[in-house]
Amino acid sequence: MEFSTILGAWVAAGLTLFIFSFLYKDNPFFKAAEHLYIGAGLAWHIQLIIYKIIKVKVWEPMKVAWASGNWFTIWMIIIPTILGLSLITQFIPRISWLSRYGFTFMMGYSAGLALPAGLATDFTNQILGTIEPFANIVNLTPGQLINALILLIGSISVLFYFFFSIEHKGAVKKISNFGIYFLMIYFGASFGNTVMARFSLLYGRFDLLVRYSNAQYFYATNWIIVGLVIYFLLEKFVLNKVIAKNS
Amino acid sequence: MIRKIKFFLISVFIISNINALPSKPKKQVEPQNVKIELPGLELLDYPSDRGDSLILKWDTNDDKDLIYEIMVSTDEKNWKKVKEQKEGSFTSQNIDLPFWIWNKKENKNACVIEIMKVFNIQEEEFFKEYSNGFKLYAKLNVISKKQKSESQTVSAIAIGNWFRADRLNSLIIVLLVSLVFFMVVSHAKKRELFIRRIAGLDAIDEAVGRATEMGKPVIYVPGIGSMSNISTIASVFILGEVGKKIAQYDANIKVPHYDPIVFTVAKETIKQAYIEAERPDSYRDDINMFITQDQFAYAAAVDGMITREKPAACFYMGYFMAESLLLAEVGASAGAIQIAGTDIDHQLPFFVTACDYTLIGEELYAAGAYLSKEPMLVSALKVQDFGKLFFIIFAALLSIVLVISSKAGAINITNTILDILKVR
Repeated sequence: MEFSTILGAWVAAGLTLFIFSFLYKDNPFFKAAEHLYIGAGLAWHIQLIIYKIIKVKVWEPMKVAWASGNWFTIWMIIIPTILGLSLITQFIPRISWLSRYGFTFMMGYSAGLALPAGLATDFTNQILGTIEPFANIVNLTPGQLINALILLIGSISVLFYFFFSIEHKGAVKKISNFGIYFLMIYFGASFGNTVMARFSLLYGRFDLLVRYSNAQYFYATNWIIVGLVIYFLLEKFVLNKVIAKNS
Repeated sequence: MIRKIKFFLISVFIISNINALPSKPKKQVEPQNVKIELPGLELLDYPSDRGDSLILKWDTNDDKDLIYEIMVSTDEKNWKKVKEQKEGSFTSQNIDLPFWIWNKKENKNACVIEIMKVFNIQEEEFFKEYSNGFKLYAKLNVISKKQKSESQTVSAIAIGNWFRADRLNSLIIVLLVSLVFFMVVSHAKKRELFIRRIAGLDAIDEAVGRATEMGKPVIYVPGIGSMSNISTIASVFILGEVGKKIAQYDANIKVPHYDPIVFTVAKETIKQAYIEAERPDSYRDDINMFITQDQFAYAAAVDGMITREKPAACFYMGYFMAESLLLAEVGASAGAIQIAGTDIDHQLPFFVTACDYTLIGEELYAAGAYLSKEPMLVSALKVQDFGKLFFIIFAALLSIVLVISSKAGAINITNTILDILKVR
């Protein structure tokens, strides 16, 4: 097996176990892995921005447009680029006001984009989804009919819970409490579902650790676990006492 | 006599077995390519689209066994078969367009031709090459039991539309909501509007007070959403109010960020909050800090921060994904008061289990208005309440109308209602 593969296995197993060591307590190994993770994550995103945005969306189209003398395209590249760059002026207090132009554009754009889409997905499509089964009531089976009724009653009662304009008392309180039951049933189901998915991720990581505990990887997982255990034992029985004595 | 009997018997034998003799093969009716004039055949540009589809429609026929081969060409020479369609299997009613731009009652066969799919053209290439329209010829091969005939050729140009008329309902709703919003704003400016108590928000004072007494910081996590997420916008509003309280109590707050834009907006918000609390001197630039745009690296950093700083209170407000439990669990183990709020429904269970107070969905949007009593925000909340009331009334009423119309077989009423509500 190649050296780089074995080294990769040691790094992967090591960083996984360093992160897992947080389950015991905060320690220098976790800190090292955490900082490495943040640095690597940041570096990854910087290269992504350079190679997937600046190069592809600004530099290359600009070169083509410049060569062909297409001024419309040139302006279409320059204006958003300047607006984007204006955000960086935040770091220079004297001209930081320039960033407001970029932000204003982004906020307006985001709001304009979100408004019709939000109304469609959160409002009209929800009404449609709730009432649509009743359009075909003649062909519904008893099970489907019960399902449609639960959907209708559930939607209405949950909406009562999210009604802020009136005090929740009397009939409104009863209906909104009924809505809370629907919410909790959903949360329970969602919780179980997500936990199952997380366990599947954990099994994947365990599988990796078991694979790296083989002789061909020079028992990477085993040695790292032994090293961590020795560190924690030393810290508990030796280091802490030395620190306490010195302080 | 014997000869007569023999002749009679042989005749009877031959007649009785005549059907058993190998018969001549029946002559198959070979379909012939006969030119016909198909009534009502039209090729139309698909209304309200990007210019990549056409609709072919023609009159229905009483012969339900007819099969239509839809043929298309760009030059009237090389024909390509798009699909085969049986008489009456796909009519005008099946075209997914609203009644205000498409007549669904028309009793015609119809077929949507998607140009990019048919000619296997990449999207980018198509819109670059055919920005002025795509001319297409179409004809039908009509196959009956007796013959195969070929219709006249029709043509049309697929052109992109500037206005999505099929989304007219969406535009009307946006205009109505805006109108209601401005009416409520003018009302809210005249007198204070009522908002019911939200338990999670009343705990903010308690959390900030606790942090002040203990001399420990408050950590405010705005989530991993960008500035276009409604939950992030709501989170920034809440941050402003929390920041004001922090400034008034002279407590300490830390806001780790995932998104650089949110970081900059939050920086301005906190600065403004300190100015409004008349404590601009207490503002520090390191209150807001950018961590990273990697989801789990961000979670690891915030977890580390919570473990080391041992904050008195943690706020998780905004857009959260898988990191929600990682953060809330560590905050709980650090002994902090935790108040969370998100509109991501599948992360809410984790906050409900690990935090002291959780703002569920809409409560997060309401929080900014509840805390600030700002007429604009309160009006937005009122408009949302109007929307909910509208939903409750319409869902209940329309369900009854649909049940009645469905039972009565009034398919037109049903389709009209569904068309009005459907945003394409």
